[in-house]
Amino acid sequence: MIQLRSVSKSFGNIEAVKNVSFSIDKGEIFGILGPNGAGKSTIVNILNTLVRPDKGDVIIDGVNIRNDGDTIKLIMGIVPQEIALYEELSALENLIFWGGLYNIPKSVLMNNINNTLEIVDLSYRKNDRIKTFSGGMKRRINIACSLLHNPKILVLDEPTVGVDPQNRNHIFEVIERLNSEGMTIIYTTHYMEEAERFCDKIAIIDVGSIIAQGTLKELRKISDVKDLITVKLVDSDKEVITRITSANPLFRFDSTSDTLKVESGNISKDVSIIINHIQNSGGVIERIYTQGTNLESIFLKLTGKKLRD
Amino acid sequence: MFKLFKKDLRLFFHDQRSVILTFLLPVILISLFAFAYGGIGVFDGRSEPVNLLVTDLDQSGSSKEIVNKIDSLEDMRIIISDSIKAKELVIKGKYPCALFIYKGFQDSLEAGNATPIELVYDRSREMEISILQQNLISTLMSSTSEVRIKKNIEKYLQELFPDDENNISDEIFAAVIKNDRNKQAIKWIPIVGIKNDTKLGLIQAVAGTAIMMLLFSVAGVGTSILEEKENGTINRLLYSPLKGSAILYGKMLFAFFISILQLTTMFLFAWLILNMDLSVNIPALILMIMATAFAVSSLGIFLAAIARTRQQAQNLSTIIILIMSAIGGSMIPLFIMPSILQKIALLSVNYWGIQGFYDLFWRTLPLEAILPKILILISIGIILTLASIQLFKKRIMKSS
Repeated sequence: MIQLRSVSKSFGNIEAVKNVSFSIDKGEIFGILGPNGAGKSTIVNILNTLVRPDKGDVIIDGVNIRNDGDTIKLIMGIVPQEIALYEELSALENLIFWGGLYNIPKSVLMNNINNTLEIVDLSYRKNDRIKTFSGGMKRRINIACSLLHNPKILVLDEPTVGVDPQNRNHIFEVIERLNSEGMTIIYTTHYMEEAERFCDKIAIIDVGSIIAQGTLKELRKISDVKDLITVKLVDSDKEVITRITSANPLFRFDSTSDTLKVESGNISKDVSIIINHIQNSGGVIERIYTQGTNLESIFLKLTGKKLRD
Repeated sequence: MFKLFKKDLRLFFHDQRSVILTFLLPVILISLFAFAYGGIGVFDGRSEPVNLLVTDLDQSGSSKEIVNKIDSLEDMRIIISDSIKAKELVIKGKYPCALFIYKGFQDSLEAGNATPIELVYDRSREMEISILQQNLISTLMSSTSEVRIKKNIEKYLQELFPDDENNISDEIFAAVIKNDRNKQAIKWIPIVGIKNDTKLGLIQAVAGTAIMMLLFSVAGVGTSILEEKENGTINRLLYSPLKGSAILYGKMLFAFFISILQLTTMFLFAWLILNMDLSVNIPALILMIMATAFAVSSLGIFLAAIARTRQQAQNLSTIIILIMSAIGGSMIPLFIMPSILQKIALLSVNYWGIQGFYDLFWRTLPLEAILPKILILISIGIILTLASIQLFKKRIMKSS
């Protein structure tokens, strides 16, 4: 459905996107994960022909963006990072205006408006001015405005920034519903839990370059990040700890949290072995925590920095 | 483009503050300026008469005659006062000036000596004093001259015919003065501002204020482009099949429409409420409104185009509009400005707009004579529009 081949874009001396390539299949949810300023929005703007790449090709639904930008605009629905709505107009007036830009016949447009209002669950507020909406509601109308021309691909640029958990879940449900109806979705975020929740494939981007991409499983493999088992002892006796760590070098003592940490390739198998080893060394376990591999740890491993840095 | 125009129109009428600032405030200001410039008032067609305190300490026939003559002048209103009170009233600012005719006035006049007469005045009210000076001096000069001529005739006849008791001096004096008046009289014929009853002050107030307020309104439209850039709606517009240039043209169309609407409202108000006669030349009026609206709306968009942020645009607009309005004749009538400022005024949109409306309503010139000013306004509009398009392509579209 979407193919980016060696795409680069610079603004003056700043290389915003460096040799980026990825492909997205029809009906997939593709996550672009990276910290602020990584180049996510530039990729979104390239996909929607707003920014012309310096190098490389972008093919969307068989159309090269260099040749037919107008067709691309009809295929794509873009949900901008900002709440790009007119606050003084009502939700309905906003939807009529934004939908009207696509030259949709009025009866079709009104039908689409009613459908999208139902999808984002805001039909009951359609005549209220946007300025009276909560941040989450505005975000939902922001999404609705991008759906009115029935795009094949929906690009959501950080759609949950500043949204409360309840509205965030609402937005997730909208995305999952649209995807279940066959829409291809590109989702940029710097929240790992969002990318983990529904992205079929994820590209990790940093300083304009894609560091790794694939499914979560593939990323785990690429990064070689293991799960982590953390053990808190009742009494952190130095002698006992020395005995545990010297007998098994995989154990390391974290003095800051006063805990023992063990990296594991298979938590369910390794937990019982670890418990036995500690007990045999004279240690009394207070608590055991397990932490599976996540995008945070993968990002940290691949870039050497935290996602929210 | 028309969808954007309709949307901006809807947004405009949703915002009550904008509507009030665009229509109500200019109407109030026009009314205030019209009063201030003497465009409205009980003395129809003329400025208010200047109040002159007169203290006649001589109380002679000559002094009384002079006071009567001054009192008969149209531009002056005489208030008789005693000596001490008159000075106090001028010092306190109640009156602009006081005329003192001291004792011995008639004797000095008859003796051909300097007459004991003086005018005390408040320097801060020089405009009123200058009106008064013009009328007062000529009246005093002619009156004192006449008294002197009469006395000289009497003296000469007395010397020539010492025994003649027939007093023919009055007849000779009447004949001399008649001839003298006939020779010296200048016929004053107004040739400008006679075909239209509208007062100059009202034209100045309406044209000057309307153009200045129009600049403020249109600058607001211009800055709304930067507002759209800041809140992301420009990007969203560019995501749609809409062309970038259509966004700018949509804004320009809206600015042009609002300008026409505002100017038309101002003139209709002046016609209905302030009795301004709009019927002098309807085609020229329509063309002047359209040309002024085009030039002013282009300037508003241009001001937004040269700014990088909304705040910058607002500050820049305020400064430029105030300067242009001050030198262009919106705040102060151009004819009372120094000649250097009158030359600088040519650089402002206000000047060409106001002068065009002067030509139309005051000078009642035909359309052909007003056309050069209309063409200059259109040229200003075209130049600023082309410059704005280039700047917007560079600053707004690419940086979005």
